[in-house]
Amino acid sequence: MTVAAGIGYALLALGPSISLFVSVISKKPFLILTLLSSTLLWLISLIILSGIWRPFLPLSSTTWWPYGILIFTAVAFQEGLRILFWKIYKRLEDTLDAFADRVSKPRLFLTDKMQIALAGGLGHGVAHAVFFCLSLLTPAFGPATAFVDRCSQMPFFLVSAVIALAFVTIHTFSMLIAFNGYAEGNKVDQFFVPIVHLASGMVNIIQRLNKNSSIC
Amino acid sequence: MESSILQSIGVEIVGVMSPVSICMLLVVLLVYSLSPSNPFSSAASAPPIRTAANLVYLESPSDSTTQKLEGALLNALVFVILVAVVTFLLVVLYYYNFTNFLKNYMRFSAFFVLATMGGSIFLSIIQHFSIPIDSITCFLLLFNFSVVGVLSVFAGGIPIILRQIYMVSLGIFVAAWFTKLPEWTTWTLLVALAVYDLVAVLAPGGPLKLLVELASTRDEELPALVYEARPAVSRGMENRGSALGLLVAGVSDSGSVELQAINMDRNRNENRSNSESNAAETERYMHEEGESSVDLGERSPLVGNAQRRLSSSSDSSDYSTVVVQSDRSRQIGSREFENAVDEEMSPLVEMMGLGDERELTSGGDGMERSGRGIKLGLGDFVFYSVLVGRAAMYDLMTVYACYLAIISGLGCTLILLSVCRRALPALPISITLGVIFYFLTRLLMEPFVVGTATNLLMF
Repeated sequence: MTVAAGIGYALLALGPSISLFVSVISKKPFLILTLLSSTLLWLISLIILSGIWRPFLPLSSTTWWPYGILIFTAVAFQEGLRILFWKIYKRLEDTLDAFADRVSKPRLFLTDKMQIALAGGLGHGVAHAVFFCLSLLTPAFGPATAFVDRCSQMPFFLVSAVIALAFVTIHTFSMLIAFNGYAEGNKVDQFFVPIVHLASGMVNIIQRLNKNSSIC
Repeated sequence: MESSILQSIGVEIVGVMSPVSICMLLVVLLVYSLSPSNPFSSAASAPPIRTAANLVYLESPSDSTTQKLEGALLNALVFVILVAVVTFLLVVLYYYNFTNFLKNYMRFSAFFVLATMGGSIFLSIIQHFSIPIDSITCFLLLFNFSVVGVLSVFAGGIPIILRQIYMVSLGIFVAAWFTKLPEWTTWTLLVALAVYDLVAVLAPGGPLKLLVELASTRDEELPALVYEARPAVSRGMENRGSALGLLVAGVSDSGSVELQAINMDRNRNENRSNSESNAAETERYMHEEGESSVDLGERSPLVGNAQRRLSSSSDSSDYSTVVVQSDRSRQIGSREFENAVDEEMSPLVEMMGLGDERELTSGGDGMERSGRGIKLGLGDFVFYSVLVGRAAMYDLMTVYACYLAIISGLGCTLILLSVCRRALPALPISITLGVIFYFLTRLLMEPFVVGTATNLLMF
């Protein structure tokens, strides 16, 4: 829809993450490295997932249950990734504490740990936004726009940008909640995160079910 | 509240990664904005220019796969041979002390690259965006730009940020030119150059290794284009003064990059056998150990830290040096040698070829960690950006995947650098990862993600 609209959609999806980045993460180089490595891990998990699902694509668009299985496996894989991230983080924390002792600096504060978790979650969120929203936005910089099938008043790009924004928020803060939950052994927190992730993924399928009702 | 260690770990790495990221981003933007929107327009089907990389085989879309593959391999082989020959020539010239000739040639080639390659890119930008500017103004601006570029890279007394900006722009121009090569040739060329880099820097007869050793035995900088990652402005951390300043202050930050090694170098070279300066030397060595921000492993700054505190009062400095010497005499001896070699060795790099189609860019690259911060060769910038630019011609997803792969490869190389402490080739790991990720993303990930995203099914 023109460059202005394209930039608008991109900022819609990534705006809060850019402000988080500039205010919190860019001040500490270690957090930038954490962000980059968590994005890389998310990308690798996505590649493995798509490798597993490649023979089954393209899925038929009439039935809905293959999509259900798809989302379920994807979410399960990513939650597994989160646990892996937690284990790596524990080891990293020990190394960082040992290093801090050696240079006689204080050990990691709670805010530091939360900032690392935030950077990790933001990495996941940014990766999600880029791969699911921004990569499809290139046509939006052109002269026209595309509308959603079932609701012909909202442009497709707008919908995908808003959903991407929601997922960025989910990813960022679920990493924080999950790390806190694992650290304190709080079962409620630990299960809260995967359930929210799964629910938000599944909800998207509902809109495929009701073909006639408009979702405007 | 004392600052936590999170403030200072990783500064060096980010200091190298940000210019690389900026260079890649600008090349991607250039590729996107200058690529013809109509694939059938006359600009796209213009006959491909014959450059050094295209000498043997000119790829056209209508050739069969095997033909393209063989042609691309031949092209890559010829290019690597040319690069190797030119690098050997450079080593020979350097060995016979033709330094004036080399310096003037480099100044001329930098000017030429900025003026002609930069000029043609500016012209195509002006054409594409229909910017109203007349030719005289344009010529003047281009001339000024090139002259300031040459001055900032090769003369002293210019602020480091300007030098860094011009290094990055040199990288952008050359990379943007390389992206005009056809696709198969580009990929095989990248892989061939990564292999060449590995061999040239690490193998015993490699030209770049010879160059580094020659430069280090003569105690001078390499005649090459190198990006230095010194921070232009210290970011709220105590800025390191001279060695004496360190002795007085007593507390140091574990991650500051800039050593202001100029004073210390002179001190060290004069007083190498002098015992009074042992405090300064060992202080610096401890400080250099503290500098390695990536090293969460075995650096043992514990002793160094104790030594710092001890030496903060100058009257006990003799005692402290004796203590330290006796404890770690073996380690300090070996580290002194290593650090001496490190101080002098400058990294390896790139002799930029001229902009004319016949000329080549001999890409030798490597990276090195001296007391003044990490240095990265300009050839690395160029070839990372070429990879990302070529990925940009396919899709934004591949761009992001290749960017992440290259950055993680660079991080791995930096970690290896802090472990090995010698000149290392920066190309191989990043390029291998980049190529792997590109093909994986293109073949596996894209149908998956595009399929789910267009159905608005996100997870």
